[in-house]
Amino acid sequence: MKNLKIISNLFAFLMVLSCSDTFVDVDSDDQNSETFFNTEEDYQLALVAAYDYLQTTAKFYQFAEIASDNTLCGGESATDSPYIQEIDDMIHSPSGQSDGGLRTMWQWMYEAVNRCNYIMEFQDKTDFSNKTSVIAQTRFLRAYYNFILVKWWGDVPMLVDKRIQFGDQFNIDRTPKEEVYALIEEDLIFAAANLPYVQSETGRITKGAAQGMLGKVYLYQDKFAESAEVLEDLINNGPHRLLTPTEYPNMFERDWENNIESVFEVQYSDVDGGSYECFQCLEGNYSVYFNGPRGFVDAAEKFDSGYSFNVPVQDVVDAFEPGDLRYETSILDMEQYIIDNPGSSWSGDGYEQTGYFNRKYIARLGDLNIGDPALTNPDNYRALRFADVLLMAAEALNRGGISDTRAQDYLNQVRNRALLPSVNTTGTNLTNDIYKERRVELVGEGHRFFDLVRTGRAAQAIDGFVAGKHELFPIPIEEIQLTGNRWNQNPGY
Amino acid sequence: MKGILGILITLFGVITISAQTLDVKGTVLDEAGIPIPGVNVIVKGTSKGASTDFDGNFILKDVSVGSVLSFSYVGYVTYEVTINDNTDLNVQLQPDVAQLDEVVVIGYGTQTKKEITGAVSVVSNETIEKLKPTRIEQALQGQVAGVNITTNSGSPGGGSTISIRGVSTNGNSSPLILVDGNVVEDLSVVNPYDIESINILKDATAGIYGVRAANGVILITTKTGRKEMPLTIEYNAYGGFQQTTRKIPVLNATQYGVIVNEAYAAGGSTPPFSDLSTLGIGTDWQDEVFESAPIMNHHITLKGGKEKSSYSFSSSYLTQDGIVGGKKSNFTRVTNTATYNLDFSENFKFKSGVTLTGVNSQGLPENALGSVLFNALNMAPTIPVRDENGEFSLADGLGAEVINPIAQMANTYNRNKVMKINGFAGLAYNFLEHFTAEANIQFNYAEVSSFSFDPIDYYGGGKVFNTLTNGVFEGFNIFRDYTFDGFLKYQNKFNDVHNLNVLLGISVFKTTGMFSGATATDIKNNDIRYATVEQGLNQRDIYVERGSNPKFDGRLLSYFARVQYDYKGKYLFSAVVRRDGSTRFGPNNKFGIFPSGSIGWVASDEEFMSDINTFDFLKFRASYGVLGNDRIGDYRFVSLLTGEGTYFFGGNDRENEVFGIASGPISNPQIKWEKQKTLDIGVDMRILNNKVDITADYFKKRTEDLLVSPQISGLLGTGAPPYVNAGIVENKGLEFAIGYSDNLNENFKFNIKYNVTTLKNEVLEVSGEDEYLEGGRFGISQPAISRMEAGFPMGYFVGYQTNGIFQNQTEVDNSAVTNLGARPGDLKFVDQNGDGVIDLNDRVNLGNPIPDATMGLNISFDYKNIDFSAYTFASIGNEIVRNYERNQQLVNKPIWYLDRWTGEGTSNTSPLQTIGATSNTDFSDFYVEDGSFVRLQNVQLGYTFSDNVLNNDKISKLRIYVSANNLFTLTKYRGYDPTIGNGAPIGGGIDNGFYPSASTFLLGLNVKF
Repeated sequence: MKNLKIISNLFAFLMVLSCSDTFVDVDSDDQNSETFFNTEEDYQLALVAAYDYLQTTAKFYQFAEIASDNTLCGGESATDSPYIQEIDDMIHSPSGQSDGGLRTMWQWMYEAVNRCNYIMEFQDKTDFSNKTSVIAQTRFLRAYYNFILVKWWGDVPMLVDKRIQFGDQFNIDRTPKEEVYALIEEDLIFAAANLPYVQSETGRITKGAAQGMLGKVYLYQDKFAESAEVLEDLINNGPHRLLTPTEYPNMFERDWENNIESVFEVQYSDVDGGSYECFQCLEGNYSVYFNGPRGFVDAAEKFDSGYSFNVPVQDVVDAFEPGDLRYETSILDMEQYIIDNPGSSWSGDGYEQTGYFNRKYIARLGDLNIGDPALTNPDNYRALRFADVLLMAAEALNRGGISDTRAQDYLNQVRNRALLPSVNTTGTNLTNDIYKERRVELVGEGHRFFDLVRTGRAAQAIDGFVAGKHELFPIPIEEIQLTGNRWNQNPGY
Repeated sequence: MKGILGILITLFGVITISAQTLDVKGTVLDEAGIPIPGVNVIVKGTSKGASTDFDGNFILKDVSVGSVLSFSYVGYVTYEVTINDNTDLNVQLQPDVAQLDEVVVIGYGTQTKKEITGAVSVVSNETIEKLKPTRIEQALQGQVAGVNITTNSGSPGGGSTISIRGVSTNGNSSPLILVDGNVVEDLSVVNPYDIESINILKDATAGIYGVRAANGVILITTKTGRKEMPLTIEYNAYGGFQQTTRKIPVLNATQYGVIVNEAYAAGGSTPPFSDLSTLGIGTDWQDEVFESAPIMNHHITLKGGKEKSSYSFSSSYLTQDGIVGGKKSNFTRVTNTATYNLDFSENFKFKSGVTLTGVNSQGLPENALGSVLFNALNMAPTIPVRDENGEFSLADGLGAEVINPIAQMANTYNRNKVMKINGFAGLAYNFLEHFTAEANIQFNYAEVSSFSFDPIDYYGGGKVFNTLTNGVFEGFNIFRDYTFDGFLKYQNKFNDVHNLNVLLGISVFKTTGMFSGATATDIKNNDIRYATVEQGLNQRDIYVERGSNPKFDGRLLSYFARVQYDYKGKYLFSAVVRRDGSTRFGPNNKFGIFPSGSIGWVASDEEFMSDINTFDFLKFRASYGVLGNDRIGDYRFVSLLTGEGTYFFGGNDRENEVFGIASGPISNPQIKWEKQKTLDIGVDMRILNNKVDITADYFKKRTEDLLVSPQISGLLGTGAPPYVNAGIVENKGLEFAIGYSDNLNENFKFNIKYNVTTLKNEVLEVSGEDEYLEGGRFGISQPAISRMEAGFPMGYFVGYQTNGIFQNQTEVDNSAVTNLGARPGDLKFVDQNGDGVIDLNDRVNLGNPIPDATMGLNISFDYKNIDFSAYTFASIGNEIVRNYERNQQLVNKPIWYLDRWTGEGTSNTSPLQTIGATSNTDFSDFYVEDGSFVRLQNVQLGYTFSDNVLNNDKISKLRIYVSANNLFTLTKYRGYDPTIGNGAPIGGGIDNGFYPSASTFLLGLNVKF
């Protein structure tokens, strides 16, 4: 009977111990997203995550370059990454909009916007002294991401100050792009007003970055007066200048990251490895390796090999005037390079190869190469250069009929730095000279396609471009389906 | 006379005769000649009886001449003998292989085979011992109807995927596996020789395991001693070698030169080989990569028991090198197991067991782009292994991924170490005659450490595997879990005809664990001897530094009840209900209720059947139930800040890296378990004097509320899509198993078993309309090729259908459809929708990796001292995608490309070779092959020395054998191994240069003391 007692006691004990349903109520050790933002650090950490998606924009600048008349898709073969070829060929099949292509890019930008809105949603929860700065940086980032969305897709769902939850996606319409632009302007004005020209850490958004982007956003809407005003404010009062002709060849080198000409720069690093499993998690700039020559063995030990995408065409090579300082920095001519650097070789194979490569953004040797060397290059993307600011200011002043004199001055600053003579044209001729200069100054940096589109020159310049259709990319077909088929597709698709 | 099978009786001693009655005495021995205590010896038709004592002896006084003595003992064939003048009996009982009173484990209890109302299959230790598996799954393949095994890797210690009655979910479709009640995920740590039996619950019977039962349940019991058993020692050992089953024939250097030149010419380039006559045979990279690898196993068991206790101890050592990489893919396992059972009293019993396992393994990159075998197949035969300086040759010009596989193996350093302790303890108390209370606890604790070193290496220009900075990784993970089961049983028989069993219980399961890991770079001298995180630079913790939580905690709380009733053992009924609470689901859906029931009718016990002699036994049974599946990640019902959000301020060095905080996977508070409604109708019969045993089942499983992670709107961002309960999958089929065993004469007995399972798998619904889930990769940057889509089997392949080859330009021009730059010699893709364009909309179902039928055939016979057995299994109607060709200009190719198209009329199946733009490399049926096969899994020939030869008191049994595993495979599949699998319901059956299962040749020894 003693045993019976032991057993029954044991049972009773175990019943008490385990029979309560609360046994399966367990909270994760991970933070719950609803109960965050209790300290300044929480806000700062959420802000870091909002910055993180700047790194995904490598795909946007690379694809925009491929979409333009500057480069061809390239790659390994006719079946290598069809979704990139379709960007180049202005064909946008449903599958080409899927993985890795337009749909992925759409997802990334909305993740980015959501990360900003997560901070905005809880902006009033906890007070601390640096909050205005945090909100200003957040709003710049939201504007930067939203600007990408309107550039690529026009009217896009505009998400404001609130994350969207699973289920909400069926009740969201596309917002007219004018309204999205209005929010972008507000965000950038707030950022410009509340951030310093010089931050203690490189990589942080500055007043200059906000002003430069605001000027660009105005220019995209042909708001020339507003554009000129903010850009000239930046030119006159900001800390930036052009690199000198002697300095210029270093513009895109690793030792010259975040230099004085760089107004806004996306930071990449080689310290963290990476894999294809999570492209948006990369800390490296994948595009520079993808832009590089296949099987490249560089006797000068400067350049790494690559996957031969985004190859410049003869037309853009010919666009450089003789004596242009920028040519050597912009275009890598393999034939010439191998002659100049005996012992170098490259496989020469691949799809749509021209023998030219985008020298600004191809991988350099000498980084850590941890993990996959293709995905872990530390080369920063100079998202907004002072040369761009000067050319935009020139364009706004000229096209807005404000001052061709000042426009000439800004244009010639850029030309003289490239060791080219000044121009003294006015009116439309000056406009064309500015356009011409933008192409060669900014080649390889992903601006050309949208410059052609916003100035109505795309159809004549780009093979396969249909006016009235290709100004915008199609909303990824799956995105329309997955939000309940409530959006109309962009015209022509 | 019933039960004659396998029984030997020897009569000796003095015959004593008296008038009417005799005193009978004797000894009862088991099959190995060891005395069995506790055997019931009964004079039939009387209450007179006795049990054998510790030495197996019994005495019965005053037994009438002509009466029948019955010897019965659980697990052995009952033996009967008529008493005439035989008074000293030496009875040897034979274990019953497929007996009706065989005990079947059904979860929290046992039943006899006769009483079972569900579809339960048993694999005995005898089968396991015959097959010599290094992993348990190998013993299940082909043995049990309804169970299909695919190999994830043939490398030593490589895993397998078990699917019971089809693939019923898009998620984790492996069954719940319990070893002595302990949840086991990784079967590689279990020593197959410790297993007493494997019981597989295939239908609603599994309902006793509720939310985890939908994929079936495998219950494994391990060996233990017996009471009143003298100490027996068994020693088993084998040693042998392994070889690859196949090499894929590839082009030799000259053939390669011809094809490459032709491809260059066709692509408008200058052929690279100007003088083919110098090329010769070149390097056979597969010969370089494959080797003959040793395997060795030792296993010793001690078993015994006293009046009130029993014990066992076993120890094993297995070491196996790989057929690729030899020691670089070694797997070594040591296990030590002890069990101890004690009866405190007649009705208070204790059982316990503990196992210590140590596993050391190493591995090479396999079954992927750039894996060793992939490289061996694609590496140019014109390149020698080493160059003139003795350095490994570079693989220039072969694309970014193909590298010298010998160099790759030399530069691969990794090891994985598992230290595991697991055990169980239980108390059972019988009270008030009919009640039993049981409390059992099971636990697992494992420490898994992993290490890898990636040295500085260079394989050629632009190779993704080139490493400029060496790196080292050390990981250390801890896994703990326990299961507590407490239950109360009531068992009674009313009026001698109503049998009632009731079970009420609770079960608590908790699994926790912790991950840790660190990396470092710049190991001194690039030398493995200095490769530790501690000795490197840039040391980083991969969890703490990032603020990610390295711990997990999952729990399950369950209540269950079972009622089993039968009337005279003839009408059988069983019902189960289980309520499970799982931490994987949110507050509203935490608990689920899973009912199931089954009925049986032993028709052969009916009066009206007694005249029909055809059936020795005939039972019909049916079961139906609702089972669950909760196998998704933890906490998917709540939004957690587990996302990645890293950026750099002030520079891009390590000290500038800031780890931000972002939302992780997208949550859905509404998720709940998958629900599987499963029906089984079966019949069991024995005919021809119990010589033929037949089991047949029809099953239909419908899984609803599938936990799928569908595509969602990008507005929600990039967090992993939430789980939603959407989708239906149906698996239905037939199982048929037949066994025939007979003794032709005293010297010759044999046994044949055959089983077949047919399966039809169909996805009926996936989240929304026209929705599909996809996975599975082909080539580089091509769209996914495997889908889960309504109207198709799970994970079917989608691609272009071809219709021959364009023979001439006219045919291309006149073709309504032209794929990109089509030219004579290209594959003709079928324009399925007739829109005049070949695009992704023209892709169709090209097959699927799920076999239509699987079967197994096992034959064994004993002739005098010789035993022979052969096991085969077959899989029919599954497709495999050939994805081990890199399609680069200078890579090698399989030999069948010699039959390529070279001009009009030369081939209508194999396209022209070109380095130019071609869509021949797009995924089409050209890359899909029939994966059906028949494999001779094991052949074994043994010889047992007779007692008089041994002439040794100490050794009671000595057997030597030769055995060959995986001797040959009949298949049309041209790759390495058609048993390929990867465990993924969507994305399985794609061969990227699969590490094949080895053929193993063994010489072995069994000794019993």
